Amino acid sequence: MHSDALLTLVVITALAFDFTNGFHDTANVVATSISTRAIRPRVAVTIAAALNFVGAFISLKVAATIATGIVAAGAVTLPIVFAGLIGAAAWNIATWYVGLPSSSSHALIGGVIGAMLAAKGAGEVHFDGLLGKVVVPALLAPLVAFVVAAIAIVLTYRLTAGLRPGPASRGFRMGQLFSGAMLSLAHGTNDAQKTMGVITLALVANGAIPASHVTVPTWVVITAASAIALGTYVGGWRIIRTLGMRIIKMDSAQGFTAQTAGAAVVLAASHMGYPLSTTHVMAGGVVGAGAGKRLSAVRWGLAGNIAVAWILTLPAAAAVGAATYAVSIGISGGALGPFVIAAAVIIAGLLATLIRRAHKLTAQPAQAAR
Amino acid sequence: MTLAGAIIDAHALLQLVYTALLAGVGICVVYAVAVVGIARAQECKRANRPRAALLYGVLATASLAACALAIVGGIAIMATK
Repeated sequence: MHSDALLTLVVITALAFDFTNGFHDTANVVATSISTRAIRPRVAVTIAAALNFVGAFISLKVAATIATGIVAAGAVTLPIVFAGLIGAAAWNIATWYVGLPSSSSHALIGGVIGAMLAAKGAGEVHFDGLLGKVVVPALLAPLVAFVVAAIAIVLTYRLTAGLRPGPASRGFRMGQLFSGAMLSLAHGTNDAQKTMGVITLALVANGAIPASHVTVPTWVVITAASAIALGTYVGGWRIIRTLGMRIIKMDSAQGFTAQTAGAAVVLAASHMGYPLSTTHVMAGGVVGAGAGKRLSAVRWGLAGNIAVAWILTLPAAAAVGAATYAVSIGISGGALGPFVIAAAVIIAGLLATLIRRAHKLTAQPAQAAR
Repeated sequence: MTLAGAIIDAHALLQLVYTALLAGVGICVVYAVAVVGIARAQECKRANRPRAALLYGVLATASLAACALAIVGGIAIMATK
């Protein structure tokens, strides 16, 4: 009975994380289409939400990697999965608050590894899987996206050199409808699968799925796909509007090549079962498309911040995951810990919302008085 | 086999690199050819050169069809394997 209640809590937390993943990361996927005015924000978000949903059904290899390739599935317990999710969500919220670009995917993997280290020690973490399936592909993928986008933009400019700007720009804006759609599909394929993998881990821990034969149930695929699509639709457009104005000035050909490079890398990686960060791949594509035009067009400082955030994400999420597990076990031996932590997170969220609203109310009369 | 070789699947990573390179650069180049074809076809039509306009139109259509085939084929491979 207690185990079933805890499983329900873990599944809800995982789906909430998936929702925030759609809410947070989809901006990276469609911001280039918005900034080149290829598509209106609301239409972009609606298409992205639909394709995120569809993309989640294409492949299950990444889910299998998360469920079996990073930690020993047989050693996982529900409090470990819960602590990992809290670690990932905490890191995501903290980086979102300070405006630091980070990867939800690496936060999730880091959170689960940190909780597992705190619970069972290093013996149950597949460090070979972590290095071979997460760290090395994560380092390589943005570089590949950079190279693909840089080569593609140089060749594209050469091919279209004799054209008048109007028809060329219109042509590539039209192309961005498709490249943006492909990238949304790729995002759904790679990112939704990570939540599927974590829920599958929880089901293994609860005994609903045997550790010797791990498969992803259909209801997990449908709920994860729905959560990421809903997150994209509800929150994405607000973030996109901001990003669309702040992002580096790029033309439609650069937007098209950056999105196509990103989609090609993420879809190829999903096929191999590598859980990538869409954020970092897209950053690689955008920087490549900028550098292919001229090196000074790239904000190298911003690229540096992204690199720093990438380095910090895995260990920081792991530290929060480990701490959450320790606190969770410390409360009545772990029986009530996850429920107390979940209640504390909800109360903290409500308080933060109330304080923010109060600040807005006090700021408005002050502005009106000026 | 070295430890790094045992941990890192170099073959799969290499496959990721060349698949992304071929698909990403290939689709961008073919689509650029389609954009050139459409723009030139319109220019030729305005200049009253119907044969050249037709040839550029065929080039644009073939390029767009190649892009569509590449995308559909790629998704089909992902979904079936």
